[in-house]
Amino acid sequence: MRPVTDFVNRLHAETKLDEALIVKKKDRYFLLNNRLKGLLSGDFFHAGTYLGKTKGGTFFPSFSLLALIAEGKANKVTVDDRTEWLFICGRDVFAKGITKVVGSRRRGECTLVLNRHGECLGFGRMLGDLQAKSKEVAVKNISDVGDFLRRERRHA
Amino acid sequence: MTSMSGREFFTRRYEQLGWKFKAVEPRQAIRINSANGKKAETVQRLAQRGVGLEKIPFLEDGYWVKASKFSVGATSEYLVGLYSIQEAAAQIPAALFTNLGGTTVLDACAAPGGKTVQLADLMRNTGAIVALDIDKRRLTALSNQLERCHIRNTIAHYMDTRESSKLNIKFDRILLDVPCSGNFAIDKAWFSRRTLQDVQENAKVQREILEEAVRVLKDDGEIVYSTCSLEPEEDELNIDWAIRSLGLKTASIKCHGEEALTNVFGKQLDPTIENARRIWPEQTQGFFVCRLTKQESSS
Repeated sequence: MRPVTDFVNRLHAETKLDEALIVKKKDRYFLLNNRLKGLLSGDFFHAGTYLGKTKGGTFFPSFSLLALIAEGKANKVTVDDRTEWLFICGRDVFAKGITKVVGSRRRGECTLVLNRHGECLGFGRMLGDLQAKSKEVAVKNISDVGDFLRRERRHA
Repeated sequence: MTSMSGREFFTRRYEQLGWKFKAVEPRQAIRINSANGKKAETVQRLAQRGVGLEKIPFLEDGYWVKASKFSVGATSEYLVGLYSIQEAAAQIPAALFTNLGGTTVLDACAAPGGKTVQLADLMRNTGAIVALDIDKRRLTALSNQLERCHIRNTIAHYMDTRESSKLNIKFDRILLDVPCSGNFAIDKAWFSRRTLQDVQENAKVQREILEEAVRVLKDDGEIVYSTCSLEPEEDELNIDWAIRSLGLKTASIKCHGEEALTNVFGKQLDPTIENARRIWPEQTQGFFVCRLTKQESSS
């Protein structure tokens, strides 16, 4: 369960996951509730909330986990509509597209990226001054919800 | 001997069942995941993006897509799970269960997961859904849908639903959206691909699925059986068989569609089959749906 909790900590998130309810299937992690835990037997394909997977020693969080973290205190930037669209197309975030910052602003740390409705669009790594008007990338895109479309195309 | 396939063969059968064939184009529809956001706000946000919606009168959360400058599957509202793209008739079955909240539900042939997400939405992520399918690729699509729509109450297994008693779970509600022959409205090559033999083979598998479902259904449970086939072998004739052989009875439902047929090609069926609904294609694809419960003596 370490990769999941380590990732939560990297975002300075207050989200508490009950480790007794986390199950691992090969390289994938899922969060159950007590009802599902009582029903889970033998092999399964998906269970409860998908939290993410490890690949080559790196943890890749799911969008369900990111949304869960976004519900509480954590590093977050809110972006404007144009930046939202660019971000879900896989682009990085420029400082001028950021409308609000919560939590750490330290370079190199991870942050969630939210739209103006507070919905989590993905996450990235902070590279520069988040409120500067410079033309430099402020948040490097690591993962965004546009990935659902990329997965659909891959499986089509 | 006349061929048991082809457009002429099947459209003649439809005429015998009381429907004159016409080429149709089902309208695109979406279903708002009301557990993930307020319906009116989602509609308004889509309107601001230039997506024109029209409420589908016979569905609680369904909307026709009137106009859109781009794919409705590429908006941020879609990607964060505020709505799903789901054909209108396909939105009917999950909505027919009574009192879903907190129950244990079997979604027997679940992938790619549109109805699983709808069930979870109707249950407000309470209770538990067990979703089965035998196609791993489609199960991956289901898993993606569950993630996109933030579904927390579902377990999915790579399993043939005809073996669901191996799970040792008794279910309150069972959705049998069974694999079927489909219909011409959603498959342009349907008439050239399908034969009566295919239909009969599918009907046999559907009966095996019904048989297993009765084994894992609680005595006071409900089954919703649905197909997107217009062929009575997969619809009314299977329900007639289920009433006579499995001790099931039909329950009255209020939904879009005509009363199902009680006389098929001269064969008189159980009169309560009229409780089921047959939907001939027009704005929607073709569909059949029936709610079933156990007769007291079959428990």
